[in-house]
Amino acid sequence: MGIQAGVNGVIQMAVKHTKKLFIKALNKKFGKDFDLAGQKVEYKRLGIEQNARKREFMEYAKKVEGKRGMTGYNPYVHAGGIPMGQRQLVPYKLSGTEYVVEGDDLHFVNNPAIQQMWDDVRRTIVVGLDMAHEVLQKRLGKEVTPETINNYLEILNHAMPGAAVVQEHMVETHPGLVDDCNVRVFTGDDALADEIDDQYLIDINKMFPAEQAEALKAAIGKTSWQAIHVPTIVVRSCDGGTTSRWSAMQLCMTFIDAYNMCAGEAAVADLAYAAKHAAVLQMSEMLPARRARGPNNPGGLSFGFLADMVQTSRVAAADPVKVSLNVVAAGAALYDQIWLGSYMSGGVGFTQYATAAYTNDILDDFCYYGVDFAADKFGGFAKAPKTLDLAKELATEVNAYGMEQYELFPTVLEDHFGGSQRASVLAAASAITSAIASGHSQVGLAGWYLSMLLHKEGWGRLGFFGYDLQDQCGPTNVFSYQSDEGAPLELRGANYPNYAMNVGHQGEYAGISSAAHAGRMDAFACNPLIKVTFANPGMVFDWADIRACFGKGGAREFRAAGERSLVMPAV
Amino acid sequence: MAYKPQFYPGSTSVGINRRKHMSGNLEKLRDIPEADVTAIMGHRAPGADYSSTHPPLKEMGEPDCPVRQIVAPTAGAAAGDRVRYSQWTDSMYFAPSTPYWRSYWGAINCKGCDPGTLSGRQIIEARERDIEAYTKTQYDSEMTDVALCSMRGCTVHGHSLRLEENGMQFDMLARTEMGKDGNVYAVKDQVGIPLDKKVNLGKPMTEAEAKKRTTIFRADGVPMCGAVGARKYDEAVEALHHMWELRSKWGFRPE
Repeated sequence: MGIQAGVNGVIQMAVKHTKKLFIKALNKKFGKDFDLAGQKVEYKRLGIEQNARKREFMEYAKKVEGKRGMTGYNPYVHAGGIPMGQRQLVPYKLSGTEYVVEGDDLHFVNNPAIQQMWDDVRRTIVVGLDMAHEVLQKRLGKEVTPETINNYLEILNHAMPGAAVVQEHMVETHPGLVDDCNVRVFTGDDALADEIDDQYLIDINKMFPAEQAEALKAAIGKTSWQAIHVPTIVVRSCDGGTTSRWSAMQLCMTFIDAYNMCAGEAAVADLAYAAKHAAVLQMSEMLPARRARGPNNPGGLSFGFLADMVQTSRVAAADPVKVSLNVVAAGAALYDQIWLGSYMSGGVGFTQYATAAYTNDILDDFCYYGVDFAADKFGGFAKAPKTLDLAKELATEVNAYGMEQYELFPTVLEDHFGGSQRASVLAAASAITSAIASGHSQVGLAGWYLSMLLHKEGWGRLGFFGYDLQDQCGPTNVFSYQSDEGAPLELRGANYPNYAMNVGHQGEYAGISSAAHAGRMDAFACNPLIKVTFANPGMVFDWADIRACFGKGGAREFRAAGERSLVMPAV
Repeated sequence: MAYKPQFYPGSTSVGINRRKHMSGNLEKLRDIPEADVTAIMGHRAPGADYSSTHPPLKEMGEPDCPVRQIVAPTAGAAAGDRVRYSQWTDSMYFAPSTPYWRSYWGAINCKGCDPGTLSGRQIIEARERDIEAYTKTQYDSEMTDVALCSMRGCTVHGHSLRLEENGMQFDMLARTEMGKDGNVYAVKDQVGIPLDKKVNLGKPMTEAEAKKRTTIFRADGVPMCGAVGARKYDEAVEALHHMWELRSKWGFRPE
């Protein structure tokens, strides 16, 4: 067992995979002719004024201060009068895109695309149609045909945003405020799909490559489902826990209208039960009381579900690294910046940690290095043995390569100036490589933990107290099947016992879950219903290109849903 | 046969230096006056009385306890001192120590201390007169280079940044400065409050000396894994692989 040594104990490895993808981003950050490899530099200490976004903040703060008559944003209270900017305040390139934005633009408060990504998750609910149809047909003797289904969907797309059916003299929501709300159906039954009005159908055959479409239809079978996205403004006023209630109410009213039911008859209870419980797929599980969140909140979102929400796998299936890293980006923003950074902790620091995983092409470079190396050695993706030895070989190589880049390019090290940023990126690259090479998420996870240990051993530092604790004891949960910790990575989530409090892990774990299946060219990682639901062309956020959409948000090119300006005076 | 701790594997200078740090068998390179160390720490004015959180143990009438009978209290605990800290930031460009090795040094060699390890800083907390003594040991010994290491209670940013042109570790609060005489001076305390007088910390190590004394593996120093295309693993990696494998298999436990 172990890595094979060559002559004199020296292991020969190909160097052709070193692409240094991060050079372009660093040149954009530091300047075109900058010496990226120099270990010394003149710190000009230009202060806060060097940065356009900070200047904008200060100018706006003056207006705010005058308007409200009390002080607010003032960067000169920082560190006893020494403001940020004692080093160069550099921008960030969204990995795999041409977007370059300021760090501030990636805080979710400043980035409407990141907000919309999360809103799109919590406003979504998947509800089966078959159980309701059985009630209508078997209990009430009603006829259900493609025509009645299309009629039902027309009524439903009127009612779901918050409009009235059946009752007189009701208040309703302004269509301009809820225009993002929509319901489409999908099924694995091509014959039924053909009968559904195109505007109400998520057409699996059109949205997915042929092989993926066949796999999804086989998994879904003859069942039919509603992909429901309630208005963004509803979940922004309430929370994810309201989604199933909002949708269930409108579903029941719509059935009453579409199938000429009595509003009070007992069969409505069956429909309500199906819509609220029996035929419902929440996006995330309810959390225990100490975390106090209902379903459809980020803490209960499994890594496998998030991997399936991201749609890169259907538009770039041949590039499993790209697939995985878009999942990492979604997870870094959702789990780190929003869940841990805001729900659980509060404050602004988590953005700085999280952006390392999706900016400046550093993680991309490490992953492509590893995956190219593995594909060369094992003859493709998901061809390597699913063993600890495989994780040992690949994680050791990728981690060593990554550490060397930090050492040989001090600007890379400076970009990831916190140890937990580097730890997440090195471990993610090691794990994604191992997962894509083996097609197995637990092998990927084994690579993650080995990277953490190697990193700490090499540099005598890792992340921080709790971060290190999680990763130093982590190898023991890779193959555990104990009841509280033994789930496959796809079924673990943000509230898994050992993962619940540390930044820089959960998004990457989602990426590892995705990587195993992306390597296998699977149509989905965990749940085919989630994969198809988020292929809905009516989503506001672009789930196929997470990082570009974040870039749009940072560049102020993204229009989010749920805005109130329609019913407010202009600024 | 008396037990002799091995502390750490490997025959490279990094492995040897790591063993030295852990064993406490460190070379003394300088002698910063106690009063100056106290001033830089910033918890009490040099010469001032120690603040206390309880009376001296001898006056407290402690319960009859076998552990208390076996373990002699530190001087600070005996006197009832409050708990204070010193926190270090060590540059990744060949600073002699690293956060984990400062913690290992503290945990193994310093009685009654609480080390905390992060990536950009390392803290040890202890009773005030004890932490003053531990801090002076760190300052005076080969664990510390005055240009690549500095005491920073807050705003620690700098360990992973490029060095200043004069070889100093970046510090946005500029708590230390390079003098025209080539000596490094402390001008602010741990949390950035200006000192009444500059403290001469002496000359920094040359780059060659820092590389000789460092406990960090680096590709441009002592590599841990050889290089791309020619991997060769330090004994520390072999030991770590073994440990990781056993931890992973232990978690399976199919009994």
